[in-house]
Amino acid sequence: MNGPRSFIFNSTVRLVFFLVNVVAVYLLLRGHNAPGGGFIAGLATAISLIFLSLAVGVEGMHRLLRFDPVLLAAAGLVLAAGAGMLPMFVNQPFLEHFQFHLSNVPVLGEVHAGTPLLFDVGVFLVVVGVTCKMIFVFAKSAQGLRALVAEEERRYSSPVEQPIESDAPPASQEAAARPKEERHAN
Amino acid sequence: MNPTILPILLPLLTALLVLFWGKPGRPRRVLVAGSGIVQLALALWLVARSCTGESFVLTLGNWSAPFGIVLVIDPLAAIMLALSTFTALASILYGYAELSFRVEHPLRLPLTQFLLAGINLAFCTGDLFNLFVAFEIMLIASYALLTLEADDWDVKQAFPYLAVNLVGSTLFLCAAGLAYTLFGTLNFADIAMRASVMADDPRVLALGLLLLVVFGIKAGIFPLYYWLPNSYPTLPIPLAALYAGMLTKVGVYVLLRVFGTVLPHSLEPAHQLLAWLAGATMIFGVLGAISRNFIRGILAYHILSQIGFMVLAIGLFTPLSFAACIFYVIHHIIVKSSLFLIGGVGLCLNRTDNLDRMGNLWRHAPWLGVVFLCQALSLAGLPPLSGFWGKYAIVVVGLEKGAYVLVAASLVASILTLFSMLKIWNSAFWNSPDEREVCLWDLRWVKLCRVAAGMTVVSLGIGLGAEGVFRVAQEAAVRALDQEGYARVVFSRIGKGGATPP
Amino acid sequence: MQIETALLIGALFGCATYLILQNSFVRILFGFVVLTNAANLLVLSMSGNPAGRHAPIVGSVARPLVDPLPQALILTAIVIGFGVTAYLVLLLYRIFLDQRTTNAAELYEDQDTSEHT
Repeated sequence: MNGPRSFIFNSTVRLVFFLVNVVAVYLLLRGHNAPGGGFIAGLATAISLIFLSLAVGVEGMHRLLRFDPVLLAAAGLVLAAGAGMLPMFVNQPFLEHFQFHLSNVPVLGEVHAGTPLLFDVGVFLVVVGVTCKMIFVFAKSAQGLRALVAEEERRYSSPVEQPIESDAPPASQEAAARPKEERHAN
Repeated sequence: MNPTILPILLPLLTALLVLFWGKPGRPRRVLVAGSGIVQLALALWLVARSCTGESFVLTLGNWSAPFGIVLVIDPLAAIMLALSTFTALASILYGYAELSFRVEHPLRLPLTQFLLAGINLAFCTGDLFNLFVAFEIMLIASYALLTLEADDWDVKQAFPYLAVNLVGSTLFLCAAGLAYTLFGTLNFADIAMRASVMADDPRVLALGLLLLVVFGIKAGIFPLYYWLPNSYPTLPIPLAALYAGMLTKVGVYVLLRVFGTVLPHSLEPAHQLLAWLAGATMIFGVLGAISRNFIRGILAYHILSQIGFMVLAIGLFTPLSFAACIFYVIHHIIVKSSLFLIGGVGLCLNRTDNLDRMGNLWRHAPWLGVVFLCQALSLAGLPPLSGFWGKYAIVVVGLEKGAYVLVAASLVASILTLFSMLKIWNSAFWNSPDEREVCLWDLRWVKLCRVAAGMTVVSLGIGLGAEGVFRVAQEAAVRALDQEGYARVVFSRIGKGGATPP
Repeated sequence: MQIETALLIGALFGCATYLILQNSFVRILFGFVVLTNAANLLVLSMSGNPAGRHAPIVGSVARPLVDPLPQALILTAIVIGFGVTAYLVLLLYRIFLDQRTTNAAELYEDQDTSEHT
């Protein structure tokens, strides 16, 4: 991810990004009865995003994504849990699903869909969010960059701690040890 | 609406809401505490309902029992749910009193709720693979919490925890696969029915031993407990209390469930092995505790020796010993969590929990001393505190079954427990050299002490009302051992796929 | 097919055990990756001999099918293994940053756990 950027690679990735995402949506939608589904589609999308980060750099991904992938994952979890809870309001067990079949829909023709799709979209979002977050954080800290931007740091790290990935162990160790000692005083 | 899913759904939704909320603050804390109170109320209601003879069954996705996943709440599961929600609530309140929300880690509350969701799923589930998933939810949340506020020493101690539990999870996956080949099903009730006709098949015994290893790792029985004693003391106090109370007890619960409800009752070699390993666990745990010189370390080793008592009760394998085990779990979770909290108060007052540098607590904070004495003597098993009744029942069953060596081991372990509790008492409370400072100006300790005292009152209540609690435990034990009754309840709920009880 | 799978599972478990017992972090990490895969393969082999049977997909009901349940179990196990492996990588990386070593024996060589937490 360091080193000179290649023009050919960058242009190819921009094309591949869209192709992979089309495949991902296809996988997501056919997952009801055929091989496919939220998990594998999520992995495909995550791979496309990782490709993109190779082209524009992990720092550049912040300008493109503009939101924290973990929120995507949490939204997916809410969607999946919501899809599971929906039947509880009509006195059916958790995770019961309903399907409907529409014919003569404009453009699409026959549509067969159901609440499992909602659950699958939730899974899709969780996988995309979690995978991207893991890879980006890891890539950044391996490159010696700050793994979390300031806003994420407020959200995910303790207010009394220093980030671990700064490349100066003695100073940061002292700073990290101090608040701990205030609490435990060992 | 079927309430069976709620003990899992409530913590999960709370965790998500809090995760979206992001910034720590007072409303967020009120929300989590409120959710904790609702969960506790729900769990107590489930205990009350299930002890009158009812069992709650939920077929997920409306697929009936052998095909879909079922959630079952019988008295045993309901009791465990009540304990887990109670401990979590106490731990959360203690955390509030310990740290202002300005220095609170933003992920601590959501991860605690995810952990609770995993624990509760492990209690409710009626399916072996779903149990694996529940364990993983619980473990991943616990890994994250273990390293969340860790310094370099703590992270180093987290690695053995992770490594041993990863091996345990892999073995569990293998065991689930083997169970599926052996019985053609993963549903507890269905396995129980099919296994009873092939009880003398050696493969069933092999599966039982494999599961013993897996749950032995989670529970921390003798050769498999290396991950526990160094990792628990690195946790912040309220989380250490929650871990000490609940995580190993999930292993004990699953041992009860698997050997009582799922596998045939004739697996004599596995029960014998459990009993002997339990004896070794008691002795080695208590010796380890003597080797430690700080409160959290001592208490972490005592978890192990107490696990030995519970597993011994499972290994003796009579309805009375099961009841004793359940009673012991009820007593132990509350006592052990509150001891960690009391240790935390001492740590807050003395600014250390190293016994060489503690002292003067009895002079300046006598109420803390009283609370500590109640719980410490209860842990050692002095009448009329709750620990005595649990140990008494186990010893009686042991003598009935003629396991004299194991009974002797348990008595030795009790005496050594008393010894190391007195060591804490002497160094931290009684010992009063003038140069030891007690930070009474740090007013947090009053609130912290109140939380610990609240748990102590519950624990005293268990000791004084031991007869009533024991009756509940007996009901739970009888129902947990009644495989046909369990299967009947599970198969009675018919959904899609039609019920075809074997 | 059955025998080969059994041998492969045994070999994978053997390799994993050997790797986990090494001192180097990278080998330990690879050991755990191999271990999860060995377990997944074991569960996969539980669906029986696949010869002459078809993939369990809707629309092929009339033919004999492979048991789909172990595959569902593996999918779950893979997802869980994926998350835990990511955690393990970051944990080992953090230990490396803290201690400046990738040797587990060196790491735990002279620690005194009786006093310190």
